[in-house]
Amino acid sequence: MINWEKFLNIDRRWLYLLIAVVVVVPFFIRMGLPVVPSDEVRSIYNLVDSLGPDNAIFIGWDFDPGTEAENQPMGVAVLRHALDRHVPVFITAVSPLGQGLAEQGAASVFDTRIPGNFVYVPWAEWEPFRAAGYVGRDSLESAWKAAGNSLPEGARGWVFEGVDFALLGYLPYFGLVVLGMGTSIATQYPTDAYGNNLREMPMLRAHKNLREIDLAVTLAGSTACMYWVVYGTSRVGLPVAFGVTAVMATDYYPYIQSGQIVGMMGGLRGAAEYEVLEHEGGHTETTGKAYRGMDVQSLAHILIILFVILGNIAYFAGGFHKKTALKSGR
Amino acid sequence: MYETIGLWVAAILTLAVFSFLYKENPLYRFAEHVVVGSSLGYTIVITYQRVLYPRLVEPVFLHGESLVLIVPAMLGLLYVTRFFPRIAWLSRYPMAFLLGMGMGMAFPYDMQAYILRQIQATLIPLYTPGAPWYNTVGAVVIVLGTLAGLIYFFFSKPHKGPFFGFGSKVGIWIIMIGFGATFGFTVMGRISLLIGRVQFLLSDWLGLLH
Amino acid sequence: MKRTVPMMIAMIGGIIMMIQYFIPHQVSQDVFNYYTEWAPLVGSFALVLGVGSLTRVHIHKIRAKAPNWPYSYAVLIPLYLIPVFAFFLPASIGGGTGKPSVFDFMYSRVQIPIQATMFSMLAFYIASAAFRAFRAKSALATILLVTAIIVMLAQVPIGDLFGRWLPDTGLWILRFPNLAAKRAIELGVGFGMLATCLKIIFGVERGWLGGAGE
Repeated sequence: MINWEKFLNIDRRWLYLLIAVVVVVPFFIRMGLPVVPSDEVRSIYNLVDSLGPDNAIFIGWDFDPGTEAENQPMGVAVLRHALDRHVPVFITAVSPLGQGLAEQGAASVFDTRIPGNFVYVPWAEWEPFRAAGYVGRDSLESAWKAAGNSLPEGARGWVFEGVDFALLGYLPYFGLVVLGMGTSIATQYPTDAYGNNLREMPMLRAHKNLREIDLAVTLAGSTACMYWVVYGTSRVGLPVAFGVTAVMATDYYPYIQSGQIVGMMGGLRGAAEYEVLEHEGGHTETTGKAYRGMDVQSLAHILIILFVILGNIAYFAGGFHKKTALKSGR
Repeated sequence: MYETIGLWVAAILTLAVFSFLYKENPLYRFAEHVVVGSSLGYTIVITYQRVLYPRLVEPVFLHGESLVLIVPAMLGLLYVTRFFPRIAWLSRYPMAFLLGMGMGMAFPYDMQAYILRQIQATLIPLYTPGAPWYNTVGAVVIVLGTLAGLIYFFFSKPHKGPFFGFGSKVGIWIIMIGFGATFGFTVMGRISLLIGRVQFLLSDWLGLLH
Repeated sequence: MKRTVPMMIAMIGGIIMMIQYFIPHQVSQDVFNYYTEWAPLVGSFALVLGVGSLTRVHIHKIRAKAPNWPYSYAVLIPLYLIPVFAFFLPASIGGGTGKPSVFDFMYSRVQIPIQATMFSMLAFYIASAAFRAFRAKSALATILLVTAIIVMLAQVPIGDLFGRWLPDTGLWILRFPNLAAKRAIELGVGFGMLATCLKIIFGVERGWLGGAGE
């Protein structure tokens, strides 16, 4: 005869241990179950894939370290995709902590010790070429190569700060920043996060305000993502895509259906879907951290569902739905 | 060396926080307190670098331009009066400026994004020729479900009768399905955050994954 | 001066900014530009308030030898050490904001791991709650749990092993009934936000005046 009360009052640390085992072990047993991308993620990917050096996008690194595990892979995936298409990328952040995460995300894409990454050329380093008049992407890269610069083995290409990439960083009251950028980006960000004059950057000269930007991807762990929709989409028709945590993702389906956002990556699954699309599109040699985590996610979900079912079986089999309070345990 | 020490410190602090799951302990408490101070310390530096220096210190005090910016600076400094009870009422001025003008500015944009566009998106045809049957059912669910949900949250009338009574019953069912979906995603989100930390420990720290 | 003038500032400022939206004249645009330039500056000084409050609370704890008072040093030391290192000390001894530096170390090797791990603990709590608290006590609770289970399986690759119908059902739930529910809630929240805006502007809501004495 099963003691249902004892079963239900099991020390919760056993449950914690089970979850820990189920999260750790699958990392060593690669199941490699396929991840089928949804339309919501595919629409973001297709839009970025349709862009090129004459376009430009914003990536809003609008989250804090608490949600790094979900949002950082999304940001890295979109950044990598855009840079591979030579789409100029402006990066912003709604919080000081987000700016640091953006720097880390960018650093991971520019780490040439890992094959498939990009070589980052800071603003000051290509100053002589700027002075010589090489500001177009193709002419700059040709001149850069002609000067004896070559890509390390495995690197996918050069990323020139001010032409391909600019980290604008954090500013407070981000709703006002988005509103202000609708008229002029440089008024809100006279310099980037490293003190470089934004008005001298070719990518800013070609895209002076948000009307000339083709997409803003906001990665958020809070309602900060709505700044872009409320003050960007509503004001200047800026196309916006969301990369939000799973907790928030279900709340934003109305905005996809209304057309206010182009698409949405929801949680680690959304990041994994984008990685799969990138890999299928030939932009990366392998999938990334998010895809790797989906095997673990599968087994953890099965365990949680088992917990729910077992808990309910014990509850009803023990007759606790008829009795007064079940005596609670540790 | 810096990287190695950093990795070990990060791993030890990660395990220190996880140790709370077994039992509360001094290492966890230490980490809990450090993160509060560290977060604010970091914010001070970034706020000065990104806002106060380029927008106030440099133009006004270094170049002597845009002296009008002293006005918002003085207004902002009034916040400090909150520490002095006799003149704490002065801190209401910067709050009035930010709150009042912020609310006024946000009003038309919020109306457009949260209300008008959403209502517009609900006024959709229930039947589109050529659409699969589940999309047609879905369109009906969107239109009637949204209405039923709104009826459920309308508390100025009792939930009785064919319109409010039946409508609110359908509404709560739709809302429960919505909450169920959110719950499922919440579980996914929480597990994902744990996956991130385990990936750090196994891959970055211990180097067990490739 | 103490209550009426701030409320008048809020009202006049609020009405001006609402009207500004509809007027394309240059004067209207100038008002908007002044506000976007001034508001971040004014708002940044609220940081002084935050730092001051935190310092005051913890110094009081240390002086009064309140329970767990030594941990207050763990709050105050990084709070002041990070800006001192970032602004005043040379890079040779870990100053500045580059890499390597105390600033970078505290952010990337202390702040991020602790904050990320604290959030990740929720996974354990939700597992415990799944076993101990999520009960199908009524038809509504049952529908909530069944929907959650379908969505949870649909969102992971293992769900595809049950057949395409499971992920397709999960997506249909998200795109239609979930959408309807969330839209109803968001419309309510939206109306509430607009009502709050108007209440603050017209002085009906005065809670923001509190905490500053008479």
